[in-house]
Amino acid sequence: MKKIKKQSIPGLLGKWQQEFTVFVPSKASGVSQMTVWDGKDTAFLDRNRNTAIPPKANFLPAMEKLFGFRKEAGSYKLEPADGEPPRQLLFGIHPCDARAIAIIDMVFKDAYEDRYYLSRRQNTVLVGMTCTSAYDSCFCTSLGFGPADPVDVDIMLTDIGDTFLIEEVTEKGKELLADAKGVVEATRDDEKKAAAARESASARVSRKIDTGEISKRLPLVFDDQEFWEKISAKCVSCGICTFLCPTCYCFDINDEMLRSDSGERYRNWDCCSFAVYTKMPVENPREEKWRRVRQKVYHKYLFYPELFDIIACTGCGRCIRQCPVNWDITQTLSNLPAGTPVKK
Amino acid sequence: MTKEIEQKLRDEIRDLLETGKVDHIIGYEAGSLKFSTTPLITGDKADVDRLVINPFIYNNLSVFLRDMCGKVGIVAKKCDARSIVSLIQSQQIARENVFIIGVPCGGIIDLAKVEKLTGLDRDEIDDIVWQKEKAVVTFGGNTREFPAKEVLADACLGCAPSDFPEYDIFIGESESLVAGKDLGRNKIKELEEMAPAQRWEFWKNEFSRCIRCYACRQICPACFCNRCFVEETEPLYISPVPKWQDNLFFQAIRMLHVAGRCTNCGECERACPVNIPLGALSKKMEEIVEELFEYRAGMDKDAPPLMTAYQLEECEDLIR
Amino acid sequence: MDNFEPKILAFCCNWCSYAGADLAGTSRMQYPPNIRIIKVMCSGRVNPFFVLKALRVGADGVLVLGCHPGDCHYMTGNYRTRRRLSITMKFLEYMGIEPERVQVSWCSASEGAKFAEVVTEVTDKLKQIGPNRLFND
Repeated sequence: MKKIKKQSIPGLLGKWQQEFTVFVPSKASGVSQMTVWDGKDTAFLDRNRNTAIPPKANFLPAMEKLFGFRKEAGSYKLEPADGEPPRQLLFGIHPCDARAIAIIDMVFKDAYEDRYYLSRRQNTVLVGMTCTSAYDSCFCTSLGFGPADPVDVDIMLTDIGDTFLIEEVTEKGKELLADAKGVVEATRDDEKKAAAARESASARVSRKIDTGEISKRLPLVFDDQEFWEKISAKCVSCGICTFLCPTCYCFDINDEMLRSDSGERYRNWDCCSFAVYTKMPVENPREEKWRRVRQKVYHKYLFYPELFDIIACTGCGRCIRQCPVNWDITQTLSNLPAGTPVKK
Repeated sequence: MTKEIEQKLRDEIRDLLETGKVDHIIGYEAGSLKFSTTPLITGDKADVDRLVINPFIYNNLSVFLRDMCGKVGIVAKKCDARSIVSLIQSQQIARENVFIIGVPCGGIIDLAKVEKLTGLDRDEIDDIVWQKEKAVVTFGGNTREFPAKEVLADACLGCAPSDFPEYDIFIGESESLVAGKDLGRNKIKELEEMAPAQRWEFWKNEFSRCIRCYACRQICPACFCNRCFVEETEPLYISPVPKWQDNLFFQAIRMLHVAGRCTNCGECERACPVNIPLGALSKKMEEIVEELFEYRAGMDKDAPPLMTAYQLEECEDLIR
Repeated sequence: MDNFEPKILAFCCNWCSYAGADLAGTSRMQYPPNIRIIKVMCSGRVNPFFVLKALRVGADGVLVLGCHPGDCHYMTGNYRTRRRLSITMKFLEYMGIEPERVQVSWCSASEGAKFAEVVTEVTDKLKQIGPNRLFND
């Protein structure tokens, strides 16, 4: 294991800035999100609680131009969007967000390779950081990993006071640290400190769910309309939980034509809680709110696992923290009725 | 004092459900996070013991009324009662279908303000106790007192006069408010003193963060259109792509569409996940309406809505 | 700002202001050609959305012309216009849009001269203020 003093990090980020656009967690824009490093900010080294906007925005931006088009001689000429995305380095990613990126990678690589998402993804390096102060809404430890696990990152940093312990997780990570100033071998003492830090980080995660019980009950309670109506009563069908969720990936595609002879095609985030999400000319299969709330729970905890063998939730807690009515998925999941076996 | 009020509230509401005076009730119960509350919507009297009253009952529960059937008992602060009356004025709910349970409110504590003052997030704070015109906040072994003006929500600071427009029963006694028409408008004052181009730059910057989650619209009791203008696609009224131009466009029109029905409850700003100061728009709108037409939404259930009423002569100085 | 010709979108109500515009034309009154007219049956049809949309797509100014209060063909339409657009004008000014870009005027069917005068004044004012760059990046 290696280590680096926190005061050497700005120098390291500066070196990385020559090859990558370096993103760090910052509230400078008015809301906490991964922001291009300004060369000076170091607040995130000592206090790094999860950002409001998740890092999925670096791969699946809230809006993304797909191509431009212009009418020319009776037909349309397409202009592809700007070429290869720049290389980016995301510094200070928490395990919940890193795991979430790995989870949605599966969708964008599945039947169809989404080159918009994948080209950003392939040009990205993730430098993870242990989460030293979980929110009261976090529940990552119930989902198969913890706030200090080096999951799905290229380098993992563990905070041990004025120093980070460094774990080179991938080859990419190793390359990044070659010739890095201030990186030295860690001592046994450092490693002991890191182990203690990891344990206390995990201990801070107080919210828990029982995924075993949940996966047993979910298939049985799909048709319990009374339960779902009661559970969904206070949801207002906004897009906050979806847009801020690191594992949500639905998007809409829209053409914008400010002139009658040319325009641009964009994709932008969409949300299954919106009443119009499944609206079609003939009908809307999720007209009623309880169906949409039910869908949210099932997509993440049953349908996605059926497809990709993993729950599409990493316990980051953003949906709970930001929901304007404090709808809490862990409460719903912990109160699922035992259900009756489906009669065939 | 609050414990007695809470118990009285629970007893009254249990009675309403038992005697069948209402079919359902909407109130507040403890939330799943520190210092949070959450709407309790139920027809089951067994749930009544979960009802609470405290300085964190921020939701405007009137947003749920339109979708409910039968007679509904609703716990209402003064701003919520104004929203209920505004809905009655707009003929969205019938007066006889709603049983308004007024509760005393000395103001809601704005957790975002407390976070700024303490430098901590809400879950890192040990306790916040409201003590008549000040909040006593304990964190990390320290105790600090903050006067009401620093911790109450802007919408609450601007809550004056404090007459409750309409209720069926009132639990306890009306609390005194630290409020005044000129309070809670610091941002507005700043903006009024800027040049127009500067103001536009300010809003352009704020709306660059908007992600079009529509929480502002969904949480607003006045936004009840079955088909919002952003959902018109044939032709496309407004682009759903969250460019700042269209985000600003969306919010400006939303504010204009709710003008005269918005009671400046502050929920849109509180709900916004990217901290856009929507209160600086909604309160200014309320002021414009009052200045031009001497009208305040939701004060009189028999008053015609702003946009259906008119005087033979008004605003002529604005017309060429 | 030389050679800047503002693009002005005008909403004219069918019964009064559009007829007034016609009268200006048939009387051969001169007024700047910067105006593009959309006829609506009543000025009360004008949703504040139209005003802002015009600015969004690049119009330099928006004019709404209706019947004088008391003379609306539909009795009360222009009272709605007056309330709705007064609020709109004040609110948009607060947001930072120059007040000269959005104006409302009453113009009856016999006021061809007034129509020409209003268009001329608004065009001149907008020439001074400059093109609408509000929604540019």
